[in-house]
Amino acid sequence: MSDATALGDGPTAKVAPSPARRVPVGRVVVSVVVAAVLVALPFMFPAFRVEQFVGWMALAIAACGLNLLTGYNGQISVGHGALYGTGAYATALLITDLGWPVWPSVAAAGVICFVVGVAIGLPALRIKGLYLALVTLAVATLFPLIIEQFSSITGGGSGLSITTPQETPRGVIERPIRLESPGGSLAPDQWKYFVFLVLTVVVFVVMRNIVRSRTGRSLVAVRDNETAAEVSGVHVARVKILTFGVSSAMAGIGGAVFALNNGRINPSSFTIVVSIYFLIAVVVGGAASVIGPAIGAVAYGLFIDVLSPELPERFKPATPVILGVLLILLMLFAPGGIVGMWRTSAAKRAAKRARAATAAAASGDTV
Amino acid sequence: MMRHRTRRVGLATTAALLAVVTLAATACGGRDDDSGSGSTTTAKEGGSSSAAFIDPSVDCTDYQGTEGINGDTIKIGTVRPASGTYAIYDQVTTGLNAWVTYVNQSGGLKAKDGKSYKLELIKEDDAYDPAKTPALVKKLVEQDKVFALVGDIGTEPNLSVRDYLNEKCVPNIALATGSTQWGNNKQYPWYIAGLPSYATEAHAWIEYLKESNPKAKIALLYQDDDFGQAYEKAIKKAIKGTDITIVAEQGFNPLGGTTPEAAVTKLSQSDADTFIVGLGGTPCPTSLKLKPDTWNPATIVSVTCAGKTALSLAGGKDQGVIAAQATYDPSDPADAQVPAVQQFRKDATAAGLTEQQIDGGITGPGWGFGSLFGLGIENAETLDRAGVMNALWSLDTDSFGLVRDGVTVITDGTEDPWAIEGFRIVQREGDGWKELSPITNWEGKSNSFAG
Repeated sequence: MSDATALGDGPTAKVAPSPARRVPVGRVVVSVVVAAVLVALPFMFPAFRVEQFVGWMALAIAACGLNLLTGYNGQISVGHGALYGTGAYATALLITDLGWPVWPSVAAAGVICFVVGVAIGLPALRIKGLYLALVTLAVATLFPLIIEQFSSITGGGSGLSITTPQETPRGVIERPIRLESPGGSLAPDQWKYFVFLVLTVVVFVVMRNIVRSRTGRSLVAVRDNETAAEVSGVHVARVKILTFGVSSAMAGIGGAVFALNNGRINPSSFTIVVSIYFLIAVVVGGAASVIGPAIGAVAYGLFIDVLSPELPERFKPATPVILGVLLILLMLFAPGGIVGMWRTSAAKRAAKRARAATAAAASGDTV
Repeated sequence: MMRHRTRRVGLATTAALLAVVTLAATACGGRDDDSGSGSTTTAKEGGSSSAAFIDPSVDCTDYQGTEGINGDTIKIGTVRPASGTYAIYDQVTTGLNAWVTYVNQSGGLKAKDGKSYKLELIKEDDAYDPAKTPALVKKLVEQDKVFALVGDIGTEPNLSVRDYLNEKCVPNIALATGSTQWGNNKQYPWYIAGLPSYATEAHAWIEYLKESNPKAKIALLYQDDDFGQAYEKAIKKAIKGTDITIVAEQGFNPLGGTTPEAAVTKLSQSDADTFIVGLGGTPCPTSLKLKPDTWNPATIVSVTCAGKTALSLAGGKDQGVIAAQATYDPSDPADAQVPAVQQFRKDATAAGLTEQQIDGGITGPGWGFGSLFGLGIENAETLDRAGVMNALWSLDTDSFGLVRDGVTVITDGTEDPWAIEGFRIVQREGDGWKELSPITNWEGKSNSFAG
């Protein structure tokens, strides 16, 4: 295919020394535009909107973790909402009750969720597919109930505020935590946006490196054919459990971002519905593609936070129905999600160019 | 292999660019803060006098005192559940909306600057889910730029935005909740409740029990959140030193997606002779309906449940229930001839409410929340956010909305943050109420009843 592309680029391409050293102009342009937009966003929108963007990042990070498990390793989890919640509550409790600083708390949330994930992953060695989905479904359903059961620690239905004592004109008040930019050059919401944007990029880069590595190939091998993978020397049990752990840690870090973004968490934020959101983000973006869950999270966020509030009052109660119809349409016309759609159209374009080039070359020969 | 390398170049470029541009952006400074339409008021302008409870020059870092007032229109917002378990309270907002229509039909609210102001109300639906409230309230403040929030429903939803609104110095007026938390106006001066404190209500119940059944054995069902816990704690505090005991108690989680059936069944197996239902929304009448026929305790319900619409869902088991009442009930034949009720019926009908909505008992409080906001606008020395709050923190009037004659409406920012502190005890009889004990005002004492 690379030959065809070189031909299509015309005579100059033929002069270019080697295709391998060619600078991918399109890709660089796209990167610059994406980076510019990401940086410009918090300056273009009011604070509440910027906080919604951070919410999308939390969703993207958790969906990225689910994608590792479901997209690459083929294990279905409908319980990542519970791990997201575990990460959020762990962060909140460490900061508020134990007085930990923010970043160690986020890291601890990841570690705690890794351990919990490994524990949940253990039964996954024996059960697969739908049955595993059912087990994780139970975890997702139980989570809010567990939170309410231990209300003396978790605050129960009243929720939990992540607060620190702050000096105000009316005395010292426990105020929701916020990340202040050094020197106060940025508004708190803008600083929060950039801090978590960097974290999100880091998580996605780590994800990409895992997927591209030997480990990543063994994940896919286990997904495609466990027996063949085992025969080829892949330790199937270890791969499955560790994937569950790492995937859960990512969900936990997503939960930590959610908690720090909102400053207050309630069990109602971590119902079974949240687990479904993650699946939606993965499927809409494109399973088994690194950037897919991020695109899915943005698409979902755009729908829920930006479009649906603008619906006429009469249609607002129908929001879930509209979302459902859109999902069905997407799955009908683009089963590979947005990334899949893009890949298909790119392949089609390339094929068309190749055909055109071949035709041109053929006609050139005859003339 | 080549594909591999180009991708890496792409991602690395994105990351590097992001880092560079972020640094540049940070150096350039934050968002342009002059985007607000309201002028930034400094120094004393907002306060009515040196003794004003709120002084924006001290209390606020970025005070937008007149945001939301555009020409002769004041924009206000409200958040309520129009969907979910508590959708029944949407009718509170229907009442508030009717009050706004009535104000606009009758020429607007007359402020002390001599001008009349019309109102524009923007409604949002949070389904009583405190996880959804912050984004909606922030949208109302930052995008719609409302002057104040009025009649926001629910303790947890209001708690979830308390720090935000107080820091922004945006008034949240006539909260449709009586949580004891609103008694802390010294730290959160921009919040004023539209209902009496739940602790005062619970205190009124126990005072009544002391007279009617001094050795009452209570079975307590309460909503397991701040709303229900306020009742629970206040009851426990009020029965200290009396012969009244709680023999059984059950918490009920409103967001758990279940009915209170299990809790009611357990309570019915106790030997209680008094059943207190500290629940809101439809779970309250549902629990009356679930009460087995073999169990016939004296039943006390929350004020949030003591209206025609809610009680009509009790399957006929509303007869004989006891409640503390601070307002008139338009559907009560005994109240029908009271001038305040007749005026309400006339104005509300003109504003588009149906007979059923007027009698339902839920639109009335919404109308009242609007009226309390109206008192703030009309009494403000200067028409800005602090001026309105300071007016509400120094109320001394006979009545507003459907508040009963005899219930005093007095506030004092530093001493008395509760507008309504008087109740009479009534019992359901037919479509109305029979008075069991007359109005008692606990002026300035509400905070002391909180458990």
